[in-house]
Amino acid sequence: MIVWLVGITVLHGWMNLHLFAHETGGKGQYRFRIGFLPVTCHLTCPVTDFINKQQTGTSMFDPVRFNGWPELKEAYLSGYTPATFILAPMAIALREQGVRIKIVYLGHRDGSALMVRKDSGIHRIEDLRGKTIAVPGRYANQRLIIYRELTARGMSLDDVNIVEMPPPDMPTALYSRAVDAVTSGEPFMGQTELDGYGRCLYQAKDVWPGFISCVLAVSEDMIRDHRPQVQELVNGIAASGKWLDESMDHRMDAAKFVSTLYYNQNPRLLSYVLSKPPDRVKYTNLKPQRANFEEIEMLGKAAGMLKGTAHFDDYVDTSFAPDDDKVVAQTYEPKRQ
Amino acid sequence: MNATTTETMAEERGREAARGAARSVKGGKGVDWLGLALPWGVGALFLLGWDLSVRFSGSDLFPKPIDVARGIVELIRHGLLLKYVVASLFRVSWGFALATMVGVPFGLLLGWYGRASQAFNPLIQIFRPISPIAWIPVAILWFGVSDAAPVFLIFLASVFPITVSSMAAVRTMQPVYVRAAQNFGLSEWELFRQVIFRACLPQIITGLRIALGIAWLVVVAAEMIAVNSGLGYLIIDARNAGKRYDLVVAGMLMIGLIGLGLDFLVRKLENFDEVRWGYANKA
Repeated sequence: MIVWLVGITVLHGWMNLHLFAHETGGKGQYRFRIGFLPVTCHLTCPVTDFINKQQTGTSMFDPVRFNGWPELKEAYLSGYTPATFILAPMAIALREQGVRIKIVYLGHRDGSALMVRKDSGIHRIEDLRGKTIAVPGRYANQRLIIYRELTARGMSLDDVNIVEMPPPDMPTALYSRAVDAVTSGEPFMGQTELDGYGRCLYQAKDVWPGFISCVLAVSEDMIRDHRPQVQELVNGIAASGKWLDESMDHRMDAAKFVSTLYYNQNPRLLSYVLSKPPDRVKYTNLKPQRANFEEIEMLGKAAGMLKGTAHFDDYVDTSFAPDDDKVVAQTYEPKRQ
Repeated sequence: MNATTTETMAEERGREAARGAARSVKGGKGVDWLGLALPWGVGALFLLGWDLSVRFSGSDLFPKPIDVARGIVELIRHGLLLKYVVASLFRVSWGFALATMVGVPFGLLLGWYGRASQAFNPLIQIFRPISPIAWIPVAILWFGVSDAAPVFLIFLASVFPITVSSMAAVRTMQPVYVRAAQNFGLSEWELFRQVIFRACLPQIITGLRIALGIAWLVVVAAEMIAVNSGLGYLIIDARNAGKRYDLVVAGMLMIGLIGLGLDFLVRKLENFDEVRWGYANKA
């Protein structure tokens, strides 16, 4: 038994933890973990990590990929990931509950959709009455879009049946008719289109221009103790966003290396959602703006998601975010065949 | 009960088992061809049924057996399968080993000392039905998302069955052993080590078999935490990868096959003399 335990531990350390590999650079510097999910809303995280490693051989942070919002949130609360990409309403709700969290930058704009089956009779928002819609979680901004669109048509959340579901399970749920509609960030909505059974009822960009789903948040302790690193992180994320929006070639490059090295998805899927249409999701104009968050606060309170006790200055620190016109794109140009 | 009687009874049980096996072999040639063919036949029928049902349903999401086989080959070619198997075995081994180290002595003590059982049993029965999935948030808060968190979840899943089976083993032990041992003037420690533990070993092994099954069962849940390796991770990760349900089923299949292997190994423990001693005494 002891021989087995020692043997399996050595094998695990060698094969999975890379304990015997040589570290390259970055020794003695403050390194931190940053939580993200394999969605386009968090794309700038792996892009920044990849470009840093290509250019300097190391990265200032270790990206930690999660598969669901609860685990990502709990890892932040435990201090394991002092920085994380997170749903904006979830960050606000955490702040309301006394968690020392500050939003320092946005993850993206737009990049969400509501999908129905091609053969369904749902062609307008009004047709959603009595239907079951899957959303990524209680604090998902996609829930707020539904609320916003329903109330604009004299309906309420009580007119639909909302269920919570991890985004990776949504395409299958729609395909098997377990739900009537699904809404989340990409690429899971695009997947239903690509596989031929999904139809877009609305893109976030068309019903709520400049829509924000996810943000980059850090702990207040990190801001206090490691301010230069927070600034470096925000600069890196901003530069990666600019790089992604600079050309379609960059987006296709990102689709390849992110799919393969970070998301474990078919590169065709990311290529699709990053290009069809090109403004499906955007990575510029990511400085947090008061008006955007006040709207989220107001809708969140009206929809029963937020208490309304935390406000922009409580949960946002804009001191790190550069103005969009001052952001310089990453200078990385991969070799293309 | 002396050693000679024990050996005689064990030999008699062995002979009876051999006679039973021989009866089941037609012609008595020594190789039970039917016994070998039956599980393979059922397996082949299962695969055929699976393949046909996918073809007839027209689903292009659920994979056919050949797709799963291709998925496994892909994992092997990318060097991932061995890595993931090692990672899962590492977590299950440590979780299960820790549970054994804690559960067996604790269970024996609770079985022997009635007051200890009265004190701890309600708490054990409260914790025992709580699914390891419910512990995931707590595990992350306590251990972050390092290997310690899944090991902790696997420990929790297996420690209670081990404790309870060890406790029950002491309670159902024949008192004559203890009285005989006490007549020989054994100290309490010697009594525990040489008599109680050995007499209870068959039931403890049965408890360990059940617990190992549960430990392996929860590996998927345990690896839902943001670890980046393991067969459970493979399943969760494949869900992110779009239509890669071939890899989901490949992960399920590997978990099943390794579970079968682990159970086979634990059953081998029953052949040790120390364990056969206990079985003989139960006969």
